[in-house]
Amino acid sequence: MIQASGLTKAYHTKNSDVVAVDDARIEVKSGEFVLILGRSGSGKSTLLGMLAGLIRPSSGEISVEGLDITTLPEDKIAELRARKIGFVFQFSGLIPTITALENVMLPMLFCSGGPGCRTRAVDLLKKVGMSDRADAYPRTLSSGEMKRVAIARALLNEPSLLIADEPTGDLDVDTELEIMELFRQLNHEGTTIVMVTHNPELVPYATRTYGMNRGKLVENTNSADMCIGTYGSTRT
Amino acid sequence: MNMNSSSEFGFFRLVWRNLSNRPYRNIATVFAFAIIAATLFSSQYLVNGARESLDAGMSRMGADILVVPEQYAAASQSVILIGQPNSFFFADEGFGKISRIPGVAKASPQIYIATLFASCCAAPVQMIAIDPEHDFTVSSWLKQNPGIKLGKDDMIIGSSIVQNVGNDLMFYGHTFHVVGILQRTGMGIDNSVFVRFEDAFTMADESELKAVKKLTIPREKVSAVLVQVEPGYSPAEVAQEIQEQVPGTKTITPSGLLNAVSGQLGAVTRILVGSTLAVTIVAIPLLGFISAMVAHERMKEISILRALGAKKALVMNIMLAESFSLAIIGGLIGIGAAMGILVFFQDFIAVTLKVPFSMPSPLSMMVNGAGALLLSILVAGLSSLYPAVLINRSEPYAAIRRGES
Repeated sequence: MIQASGLTKAYHTKNSDVVAVDDARIEVKSGEFVLILGRSGSGKSTLLGMLAGLIRPSSGEISVEGLDITTLPEDKIAELRARKIGFVFQFSGLIPTITALENVMLPMLFCSGGPGCRTRAVDLLKKVGMSDRADAYPRTLSSGEMKRVAIARALLNEPSLLIADEPTGDLDVDTELEIMELFRQLNHEGTTIVMVTHNPELVPYATRTYGMNRGKLVENTNSADMCIGTYGSTRT
Repeated sequence: MNMNSSSEFGFFRLVWRNLSNRPYRNIATVFAFAIIAATLFSSQYLVNGARESLDAGMSRMGADILVVPEQYAAASQSVILIGQPNSFFFADEGFGKISRIPGVAKASPQIYIATLFASCCAAPVQMIAIDPEHDFTVSSWLKQNPGIKLGKDDMIIGSSIVQNVGNDLMFYGHTFHVVGILQRTGMGIDNSVFVRFEDAFTMADESELKAVKKLTIPREKVSAVLVQVEPGYSPAEVAQEIQEQVPGTKTITPSGLLNAVSGQLGAVTRILVGSTLAVTIVAIPLLGFISAMVAHERMKEISILRALGAKKALVMNIMLAESFSLAIIGGLIGIGAAMGILVFFQDFIAVTLKVPFSMPSPLSMMVNGAGALLLSILVAGLSSLYPAVLINRSEPYAAIRRGES
């Protein structure tokens, strides 16, 4: 599904060069639930942005579904995102001027979903437990509700890959668990998931984990290390 | 869930929702576009109204040359163009001479009499005494009772005088009977009344006893002579001949009158075009600034669209469509408001600008409206282009991450 190697992203500032991601190598197989764990500022979101084709790497190669996205034109990468990738942000990322249902239907603008799109959007809202709030505007939804709608939106184009950037970062523990259960269910249904988080308590949901510290990505085979190790901190 | 509230979601629905759910922000933009469109539409409306009015008035006048006293040439133009009441005369023997000049097919003398306030009208009107036997102009403009000839104490009135056929009107204590109403020309004729020479003289004779002010109309004198040139003769050459043979007269041709008005109109046009240009020049950076502020505010929202798979072209189209929609809404409001004000105040505008004026033709108004709308759309495109390019150049994920913090 995803193969990346030698992945580096450096930002040049006035006084110094900052290497956000340093020579990272990652492989995500179809059907996996990969968790990338790290503290704030460790470079995990930059890595995720590069894997989704939203950030151009300074060097390295990324292949998504067999396509080298480092050489693809921007429009082609956008097309790939529209057809194959679902994206869930740390914040809800809902458009405030349209309803929850319309937010879920938003990807219709980029991919020809056909007339069945609306039915699918309604079904997805049911799936995330938001069917009764379909006509509500984002400002009237709670953080958890907004996150559910955002997940439903990410699934409209039936993506083979779901990328989530700290999707539970701003949620209370109960809502976080509900969202993670939803992710687990999606993964069991066949969706490949790559998720970054700073919360090591979420490690049990993953099939494979990576740790990230100061731009360096390391694969962890022992999940227990992640809970108390270098890369994360336990939540109190 | 209300299943009918939203059918399939598309580009235009998103644009509409973005506009309708941000009403306060968009009001300023709509207002700016309304001002641009209203300014251009108004200037075109006034210029075209004056031009079309002049063309119509000239063609209806039917005269190739107007002969007036030399020292009253300007005053006579005011009588013809805006109906500003005036009285002036030159010796009638000239009229006899004019009729005999080679190339003159018909000649019709007129006497201009400035009236006092009459019961009919809010302002003094211009009375023009004509000789029905020689007249070849007035009767052909009749809207009501076409073909009627003036009899004793009969009167034909211009379209701006709010009276009906059959009404009686009193001037200088003399009662006239309205027998015909002229078509609207937008010129001074609309504000004039036409009577026979004999009745004008009787009115003047009676005025000492019946009116608050005595009226004097010298016999054997006229104010103007309308001349129709024989086919094959040049109006300019005949006019030259008249001026040479009848000393103390000045000839005015429709083209000369048109030039005089064009000069007057030119100044007005320059002011109006200048205003449009100034408003547009100020509006572009102003709207650009508003657009840039909105774009900055919406950077995260737009970046989300791109992260979800929107191509740059789609993002650009959304921004331009929103801007164009505001331009069209503002443009239509501006044109509508301008038209309402101009139609309501058109007589006042004509008097103020001292130019003939009537409402432009529907085709002309449609062309003006389309032009004003086009200008608004052009300004919209220019002002939203830079913010749209700016947004598309930014790295979407960086913008999204900025929004998170």
